[in-house]
Amino acid sequence: MVKCAIGREREVAVCLMQKCIDRGPELQIRSAIALDHLKNFIYIEADKEAHVKEAIKGMRNIFTGKIMLVPIKEMTDVLSVESKAIDISRDTWVRLKIGTYKGDLAKVVDVDNVRQRATVKVIPRIDLQALSNKLEGREVPKKKAFTPPARFMNIDEARELHIRVERRRDPATGDYFEKIEGMMFKDGFLYKNVSLKSLSTQNVQPTFDELEKFRQPGETGDGDMSSLSTLFANRKKGHFMKGDRVIVVKGDLRNLKGWVEKVEEDTVHIKPNEKGLPKTLAISDKDLCKYFEPGNHVKVVSGATEGATGMVVSVEGHVVNLVSDTTKELIRVFADNVVESSEVTSGVTKIGDYELHDLVVLDDNSFGVIIRVESEAFQVLKGVPERPDVALARLREIKYKVDKKIFAKDRYKNTLSVKDVVKILDGPCRGKQGPVEHIYKGVLFIYDRHHLEHAGFICVKSESCMMVGGSRANGERNGNSFTSKFSHLRTPPRVPTSSMRPPRGGYGGHNNFGGRGGGRGHDALIGATVKIRLGHYKGCKGRVKDVKGSTVRIELESQMKVVAVDRSHISDNVNVTPSRETSRYGMGSETPMHPSRTPLHPYMTPMRDSGVTPYHDGMRTPMRDRAWNPYTPMSPPRDNWEDGNPGSWGTSPQYQPGSPPSRAYEAPTPGSGWTNTPSNNYNEAGTPRDSGSAYANAPSPYLPSTPGGQPPMTPSSAYLPGTPGGQPMTPGSGGLDMMSPVVGADSEGPWFLPDILVNVRRPGDDTTPGVIREVLPDGSSKIALGSSGNGDVVTALPNEIEVVPPRKLDKIKIMGGAHRGATGKLIGIDGTDGIVKVDDTLDVKILDMVSLAKLVQA
Amino acid sequence: MVNLGGGGGGGGGQVAVAQIPTSFGHELRACLRCRLVKTYDQFRESGCENCPFFQMEDDHERVVDCTTPNFTGLISVMDPTKSWAARWLRIDEYVLVCIYMRWGALTGKFAPGCYTLAVSEALNPDLQNICEEEHVPYVPPKRV
Repeated sequence: MVKCAIGREREVAVCLMQKCIDRGPELQIRSAIALDHLKNFIYIEADKEAHVKEAIKGMRNIFTGKIMLVPIKEMTDVLSVESKAIDISRDTWVRLKIGTYKGDLAKVVDVDNVRQRATVKVIPRIDLQALSNKLEGREVPKKKAFTPPARFMNIDEARELHIRVERRRDPATGDYFEKIEGMMFKDGFLYKNVSLKSLSTQNVQPTFDELEKFRQPGETGDGDMSSLSTLFANRKKGHFMKGDRVIVVKGDLRNLKGWVEKVEEDTVHIKPNEKGLPKTLAISDKDLCKYFEPGNHVKVVSGATEGATGMVVSVEGHVVNLVSDTTKELIRVFADNVVESSEVTSGVTKIGDYELHDLVVLDDNSFGVIIRVESEAFQVLKGVPERPDVALARLREIKYKVDKKIFAKDRYKNTLSVKDVVKILDGPCRGKQGPVEHIYKGVLFIYDRHHLEHAGFICVKSESCMMVGGSRANGERNGNSFTSKFSHLRTPPRVPTSSMRPPRGGYGGHNNFGGRGGGRGHDALIGATVKIRLGHYKGCKGRVKDVKGSTVRIELESQMKVVAVDRSHISDNVNVTPSRETSRYGMGSETPMHPSRTPLHPYMTPMRDSGVTPYHDGMRTPMRDRAWNPYTPMSPPRDNWEDGNPGSWGTSPQYQPGSPPSRAYEAPTPGSGWTNTPSNNYNEAGTPRDSGSAYANAPSPYLPSTPGGQPPMTPSSAYLPGTPGGQPMTPGSGGLDMMSPVVGADSEGPWFLPDILVNVRRPGDDTTPGVIREVLPDGSSKIALGSSGNGDVVTALPNEIEVVPPRKLDKIKIMGGAHRGATGKLIGIDGTDGIVKVDDTLDVKILDMVSLAKLVQA
Repeated sequence: MVNLGGGGGGGGGQVAVAQIPTSFGHELRACLRCRLVKTYDQFRESGCENCPFFQMEDDHERVVDCTTPNFTGLISVMDPTKSWAARWLRIDEYVLVCIYMRWGALTGKFAPGCYTLAVSEALNPDLQNICEEEHVPYVPPKRV
């Protein structure tokens, strides 16, 4: 083996030949071999090395320095050639190897074997601007800094830029082309004449997107299938695994379905579904394709949509249509890229600062709710109540996020705030109801789980709605106007307001109302969100619950734990996590909470200004702010908000709006949700979403500081129910989410079963526990009072009965769903769902807490 | 006769040396039967030295049918009888019973010259028949 000049291997071999002819017997080499794929070297065959040296003396392109002997074993390999001549034919998919279109998918239109060239059609990457510049003689940057994106050529655009477009008739095919600068275009594609060498035919795996782009507008689905089938000729099949369902696609046994029994190198053994065939058949894996039944839950493991999970709705040949779990839309993928799996992915929910379901304001000052997060952009449901308007916005088009707590008035002049459940009275979505997720400029964004469009969000004017339950001031509350379901849910909560609190906060809310007013210096801290800088909990964020001298007790955001750290170990954190606290609107009684709220501290936040306690509840709160005065303190918190209009709020002087949407405040409430003072919560805590600030921009300026933090304030972290958009369940309320319609939704018809523990509430009576002994056909049930059912038997109506939610490790009875009537044991609680071990089958199931009831053995 | 030292047959050998290609561009073609490499023009002028029965010099179309530009590798064989590589590639000899002599070169040996290691296509059936008639061995290229 001898080294030579690169690119000149053949020349060298031929020169040696010529030399041999000239010199005759003198030259003692036998042959010279130049391999195509081995650059820089040639092989020379001779008896002795000296002969080789002699022969190459004087030749310019050979380097005499490097002569290597080839071992005998390798000699035959030199001459063996992998002959893989693929004849490129029409309509094959190829990829270009060089030039601007390097790597691009192309379809062969014509092959000229004689001249070794082919005409391929490819999606053009033409920079029209540069082209027109060049034609007009203007300066053109030497080389494009980037490749222009691939898009179809629009002849009219070219004409507008004064580029000369000619119609030409191609002599070979007879078709008409548009010729621009020597390039031929037809139907938007560029037809390029390239040498066969610059095309790669092996391993061309067109992705689904590329194929879609190539599909001509007029082509029917057949075009797709046929192009796909050529594709499959040399496509690498996915790996088959034992247990996969497959279908034979080629050969005599086409369309035979079966299961994979064993997989070998190239053959797969399948067990066919048909009778009359032998137990297992061995079929080449090229003839098989994975098959899915509609209804299978699958996951995409390769390709552009990798990572998506969903359910199969239909199968067309090699293409599977599935509905994605996250985005609820139809995705088409090749069957080879999909495997059956029960995994459910949650998808991406956040890009940059903006999360799914955030209310944002766009560049053009329109606002909307993010209903879907895609890889680089967001789908935003605009705040246009008349008709649903969805826009695609990129990250940079979003100006800012809206976090303010704003109030609106519904048709009956009730004040609406975030998390209130409202029912829509007008418009296309009339009759739907759901909690308000955002309020902005008089427009409400309601989340209805049953609404199938736009991720369940409905945009509607606040005057077209009616509040369902919630604030006291409302005459119509629950019960009657709304389905009885609500009545269940609503009433209970109302009663034990205090009980609600604790659950929420998770920490003992001490209500120091008013106590703090004066505030010690440290009070400024209380309720503030801080970050621990030193010590064991370094890096954790938390809210200050109490201050004692130089130690501060902080409730960690990440764990349900209150720790004591030194004052010097913490730093005020301006970043409040979005978890926001759920603003709760308290039910009247909460008022006491208000006092706590009063911020004591002006220092705390710059913003704060007086306002702080707006809450006014008259009660205590210092009304400090004059601002609040306008509102009668007395009225239940809700009323305060009477003016609910976000607009009006804005005007009130008091607040300094201070922080713009960002929740910059440490104020405990992220998102100032809290502003509503704890008293008002009755919503489930922990909505992940930021409740709008009560005041038109003021981000909760003050620290709610209630000493001890009112539970409501509890950072949502305590609660954090669950998926954004989900309806958090206030643990307090026994797992029943008062607000969410969902909860109620489950109960249809008699859902009581005997032997479950319930609370009976008679008008005028207290609630007493009892055990249902019998359920009557009209819906009412016979209940034996007493927690173990030993007392008297009374008959109660469904709306007087409240199911006691089971706790962990309780024996339970399943009241809804497919397993209704089964008993089991609750082995865990996960947000709004309970993990149940069913007695009969010993299966572990995950069921909604609503459908579970505590079982009392007779 | 065959020179000692085994140098390429030169002009005096039994077999006349085949023309060597004059350029290296796209005109290079390989004869489908004997794998001799020459340019298109050279084939047109003098046909294939090893396969005169194709009569390429008479019929220009034949050139296109009997030769191909798709080939892999180039080997210059100075003396096919003496070269191991040529033996391996079966370009050392063939048995020829010549029906009619065109040139004196039909002696059953391949001419020294430039050959290719492998061609991409097989001969047409018609041309294959001609080979059989001439009792000339033809081995179609191996396909993977």
